[in-house]
Amino acid sequence: MAASRCSARAVRIPKWPSAIQQRTPRQRDRHLFRRQAVVPQLNRMGGEKRARPGWSPNCTRSFRLLLLGLLIATGVWEHKALATPPLHERIDELVAARAGGELGPLSDDAEFMRRAYLDFAGRVPSVTEARAFLAETASDKRQQLIDRLTDSPDYVDHMTEFLHVMLMERLGDDEAWQTFLQASLAENKPWDQMVREMVYPDPADEMQRGAAFFITKRLEKYGQNPVDMPGLVRDVGRLFLGVDVQCAECHDHLFVDDYKQQTYQGLFAFVGHTFIRRDVKFPAVGEKLLTKKVDFKSVFVMEDLATGPKLLDAAEVEIPALAKGEEYLVPPDKKTKFPGTPKFSPLQILAAQLPRRGNHAFEKNIVNRLWWKLMGRGLVEPLDLHHSQNPPSHPQVMALLVDEFGQHEFDMKWMLRQLARSQTYQRSSRLALSSETSVDTTDPAPSSYRRGLERPLSAEQLLASVWQATGPAAVEASSAAAATSEEQPVASESNTSVDTPSVKTPADEPAAAPPVSLETLREKFTAVLANPPREPEITINPTVKAALFLMNDVSVLQLLVPRDDNLIGRLAVMDDNQLVADELYLSVLSRQPTAEEQLEVAEYLADHVDARPDALADLAWALLASTEFCVNH
Amino acid sequence: MNQPLCKPWEHQLSRRNWLGAVGAGAIGTAGLGGLLPPVLADDVNHNKRQVLFVWIDGGMSQLESWDPKPNTQFGGPFRAIDTTVPGIQISELLPRTAQQMHHMAIIRSLCTQDNSHSAGVARIQRGDPKNRGVTYPYFGSAVAKLMGPGQSKLPPYVWIKPGSGGFKHQDAGFLGPRYGALAFGDGQPPENLLRPETLSEPQARARSELRQRANNRYQQGRNPTVTEANSYVFDVAQTLMDRKELFDQSNFSASDVARYGSHEFGRHMLLGRKMLEAGVRFVKVNSYGWDTHGDNFNGHASLMPKFDQAFAAIIEDLAASGMLDQVLVIAMSEFGRTPRINGHIGRDHWPEAWSLAMAGCSVGRGIAVGETNAEGTWVESEEHDIGHMFHTWFKALGIDPQHTEYDNQGQPLPIAHDDCGVIKELLS
Amino acid sequence: MIQSNDTETLKSRFETHEQYVVSAEPQIVAARFSPCGTQLVAGGFDAQVRRWSLEADKATELPVMEGHDGWVHALGFNTAGTRLFTGDSWGQLRGWAYDQPHPTPTWIQAAAHDGWLRELHVSPDGHTLATCGRDQVVRIWSADDGSLQQELVGHGQDVFCVRYHPDGRTLVTGDDRGVVKQWDVATGECLGEFDASVLYLLHRLQDVGGARVLAFDKTGQTLACGGTTPKNGGTVQGTPTILLFDVATRAVTHTLKLGAPNHCLVHDIHLHDEGFVMAVTSGTPGQGQLLFQRPEDDAPFYVNTKMPNCHSLSVHPDGTRLAVVATNRGSNGNGRRLDKEGRYAGNTSPIHLLAWGAQADA
Repeated sequence: MAASRCSARAVRIPKWPSAIQQRTPRQRDRHLFRRQAVVPQLNRMGGEKRARPGWSPNCTRSFRLLLLGLLIATGVWEHKALATPPLHERIDELVAARAGGELGPLSDDAEFMRRAYLDFAGRVPSVTEARAFLAETASDKRQQLIDRLTDSPDYVDHMTEFLHVMLMERLGDDEAWQTFLQASLAENKPWDQMVREMVYPDPADEMQRGAAFFITKRLEKYGQNPVDMPGLVRDVGRLFLGVDVQCAECHDHLFVDDYKQQTYQGLFAFVGHTFIRRDVKFPAVGEKLLTKKVDFKSVFVMEDLATGPKLLDAAEVEIPALAKGEEYLVPPDKKTKFPGTPKFSPLQILAAQLPRRGNHAFEKNIVNRLWWKLMGRGLVEPLDLHHSQNPPSHPQVMALLVDEFGQHEFDMKWMLRQLARSQTYQRSSRLALSSETSVDTTDPAPSSYRRGLERPLSAEQLLASVWQATGPAAVEASSAAAATSEEQPVASESNTSVDTPSVKTPADEPAAAPPVSLETLREKFTAVLANPPREPEITINPTVKAALFLMNDVSVLQLLVPRDDNLIGRLAVMDDNQLVADELYLSVLSRQPTAEEQLEVAEYLADHVDARPDALADLAWALLASTEFCVNH
Repeated sequence: MNQPLCKPWEHQLSRRNWLGAVGAGAIGTAGLGGLLPPVLADDVNHNKRQVLFVWIDGGMSQLESWDPKPNTQFGGPFRAIDTTVPGIQISELLPRTAQQMHHMAIIRSLCTQDNSHSAGVARIQRGDPKNRGVTYPYFGSAVAKLMGPGQSKLPPYVWIKPGSGGFKHQDAGFLGPRYGALAFGDGQPPENLLRPETLSEPQARARSELRQRANNRYQQGRNPTVTEANSYVFDVAQTLMDRKELFDQSNFSASDVARYGSHEFGRHMLLGRKMLEAGVRFVKVNSYGWDTHGDNFNGHASLMPKFDQAFAAIIEDLAASGMLDQVLVIAMSEFGRTPRINGHIGRDHWPEAWSLAMAGCSVGRGIAVGETNAEGTWVESEEHDIGHMFHTWFKALGIDPQHTEYDNQGQPLPIAHDDCGVIKELLS
Repeated sequence: MIQSNDTETLKSRFETHEQYVVSAEPQIVAARFSPCGTQLVAGGFDAQVRRWSLEADKATELPVMEGHDGWVHALGFNTAGTRLFTGDSWGQLRGWAYDQPHPTPTWIQAAAHDGWLRELHVSPDGHTLATCGRDQVVRIWSADDGSLQQELVGHGQDVFCVRYHPDGRTLVTGDDRGVVKQWDVATGECLGEFDASVLYLLHRLQDVGGARVLAFDKTGQTLACGGTTPKNGGTVQGTPTILLFDVATRAVTHTLKLGAPNHCLVHDIHLHDEGFVMAVTSGTPGQGQLLFQRPEDDAPFYVNTKMPNCHSLSVHPDGTRLAVVATNRGSNGNGRRLDKEGRYAGNTSPIHLLAWGAQADA
């Protein structure tokens, strides 16, 4: 196991938006979900404006804009734009064309709402949010919800977690890395720029330099293992280019014709001479001088080969011959232990060559991963095995998305919004009914997208959802407020939410234990539910460990002890069992109960009149442990 | 030629899609579906066979156990003793096991490939198959995959070991974390096994029933695989809770404790018996600390009697109850120890000629297969690699090792080294 | 009183110089000078008793004495030098009239112990000898005819070592848990225990260490018990340790830690008449020490680390020489390792014949 440099959560600095008037520990904890926004909120409203740190090479982008201008000027672009329906509609057309059968029905509002909250806010909606959305009558309310969620601070937090887990694969965490991710998501930094910064961060920029953690963490030894340099090469390939070339380290890949040993070695020449800088406290990468090509030979064909840095199909980078003493832009300094900045920096070249339009591997990788995030399945599967013999299930969709994403300057929020507007995203996870009474038992192939695919929740999504479902009814109202008030100091002590009635535990029970803290739960949820390090969280399997945890862990069970500000507390003061069922189902499963479910609640409560809080906890626990709650459907 | 150091895509592939056939019925990338007991072993519904795998970590000396060479240059100080099988002698350090030899088989012709622990432990337990760029499962994970959990609803692969417990996913290799071991560290139950006092038994039952009803409703109109997977782990958890008495060592009878030994290994072996009785498919009982590069003879003089006591007791019990017909017992290390005695009066690592003991299922009773030369330095009969053992064990479990394959995302993989075969003399 | 330059003096007087090396193949357990000083006798890993006739600059091997099994692990002479007694790891005990070309046993106890006879020691008067073994029993035998005189039961553990007190009235025995018992020879009564439990550790399943070797000083006032302060089992590691007890009170007076954890075990001890401790250690292959230390000092005044894995130490009756049994270099290694002829060769025991400073110059 890799020892993480610091715990994932230790780095979070709570901020106290005064508008929420937080008071109870639970409410404060809730806000620990917020990662501190460490930069001014440059723009929360999407990708129209964005700050681009000056060091970043802008020439290609300027050139593209110029080109775009030319196209518009010549009428080509205008013509195309006029003739083409919005992206989400084109996606649906293309998916329908390859469905191979009848498309399933769209989700109802509740199903859609839950899915959108999980995908963009990383949690289920609060009961208040759920009621409000379900009551909403506007015809474009789904689009409104998508926009609202993707502009909320929850989105920044959730995407930070999503990218963190995807990119670091539970290897560890770092404060500066979180700063980088959080700041990048907060300003909706384009993906190409984020990758550029991860490959070649500017150590002088406090907001950005933590990006180096992507490389430095992989340069750490873990256990008795030596530095896993092949692992770094592999992860750069897998996570930024969608190709897993590690098997081509010693020979051309045995099963994938496209993956040559040259591919691996060319990538190795870019990143294989890096080391962790020890002269600074933050994550920083140093580069040894690369003065000659990397020698290699296939274990199958004993022929001596060599390559300089070479990115997939791009031309091999010439290694310049620099005179002795002329190798450094900034020479090493023994006193400060500064290792020097080489004039010839393969990482800098990689940062220019890799994350850019026209690098199809780069483009397809991220499009595929965003599609996967929302649709539950990649157009190319596995996500890191793009090659010509493993084409996308929907080549035209892939081509379209690549084109559009590039045109929109790698704006992830824009892309996610477009995908979420599609019917493909909004389809129900239920099987299509072949007749009114019987279920069509032949489940269509997942790649047909004829129904919404069920997806497991990450440890973070599950925790945030459990916390939300068992917590206050309306605390989520604060989300939007928090977005604009994060510079506020700790909230003053004032009234709690007025709509949570007070409830007392029975007098014969011992004084309730103090509420369990979010930090405690977070550690436990991660330990129980997250995949082991280096195990991509593409699938998360149900485990006995998790089942025992949900069944018996005292801190989980404590969430179901009635309190002033939690679900069971609210239910306990309701006399009408139908209201209880409504509140319970809406809080936990984000939908109204069916008549059958209302009856079940009523009967169960009637059977347990003497222990109503316990019975309420039983009903709530059953829903929390149910499949319906534990998957994103 | 050097072995290529692959961490290849097959590995990744299959971990993500451990449900072999990703056809109709699979759940997209969620991969939640495959928790149904896999069906690959022949006649699986009738296959109640189980495995007791006794792992002696560090390397038990074959010369101080199954293949003594008394009064020879490397034979060491100990005597050989008669067993219940005429003609078969074992070390005097195994007096109780000698009384069970008529139930057992010894193989003395192991010649394996790796003399380091770091590689050897895993390599042996994975059956050292041909390098296909994938990480093969440990034997326990393989059996869990191929035979499933059986009817017990208990986890198919439990590992009773000193030290820490938990869910050990690493054993599973490309089969995916689900086939890892549930480890009972120091014989202790898994975390959260015990229902907290605040929750009454009827209340817990009621909760579980409510959960199942909710799941049934959710399942209607949806592919059932996801819910079945989810329900399966809760069922296993519940079974473990229901059987928590298995872990209550105060329940162990005094006579059992006396027979198995009150030491760690004895208690763990007794717990292993209870797990087998409860129906666990594969039970691994682990002892550590056998790497006797120094003071080998005093070390074995102290260690072997504890092994002997517990091992003989469980063989005796399994035989007496008739369970031995269904339980394959294996006791082994990652290698044997050098005949040469070093200056620290120790023996080093020796994969060249060593032994292991087996019993149960169709394993021959009261036999010794293979032999080493007079000084115990080399195998004199046909040499057998760990691949032969995997073939033989699978066969003994009713799995045809020649025709059963893992389906790794369409890549067929043999379950045991394809150049090896069953050692027929070991099976009856 | 000890002078500050005493250790320097001691060092110059007792620094050893190698005279020659006798190589025993296969390995031997220990080698002892005969009381007359003309022979060196050793018990082997090959069930043989080996003898060398000693001369000034060489040793000539005499015919081996056969009849044992396993390892000849125990060996001792009577003070008169007329009898040799040997015991083996299968439990056989023999008395020999050894000083002849082809010695024959004077008596044989085929099953003196059930299994490993760990050590024997002859009483000062030469009439009896005591043995101990893995069967947890201590037995006293007639030196003349090998008849059993006394059985001392009570350790309940593997008994590693035995020594008569110089007065002959008591003897001490040490077991694998670091318990040293003192027995009344006449009555067989256990008089009390010396606590050497620091030399024992239960590591996982393994009982590690124990009281490995005992030695009295000439006066019988001090008892030394050697072994290791164990760190772990498996590949046993620990700091070689000698405890010195005041025999009258059975209290520890000194604890000598002799080296690093990879030096492991004190295998043999001799308490020199001039008040210092002589000991040999054997650790991880290659590690061996011959060291001399005064009890009151923090460190030995003399250490010789040139001999790998020393297993026994015998001081010549004339007090000017000693024999140290060590092991060849490169004695360990995993897996197949063949010599030039393609044979799988065993290890050997070089016996180093050493002289103190003065004699070496002569």
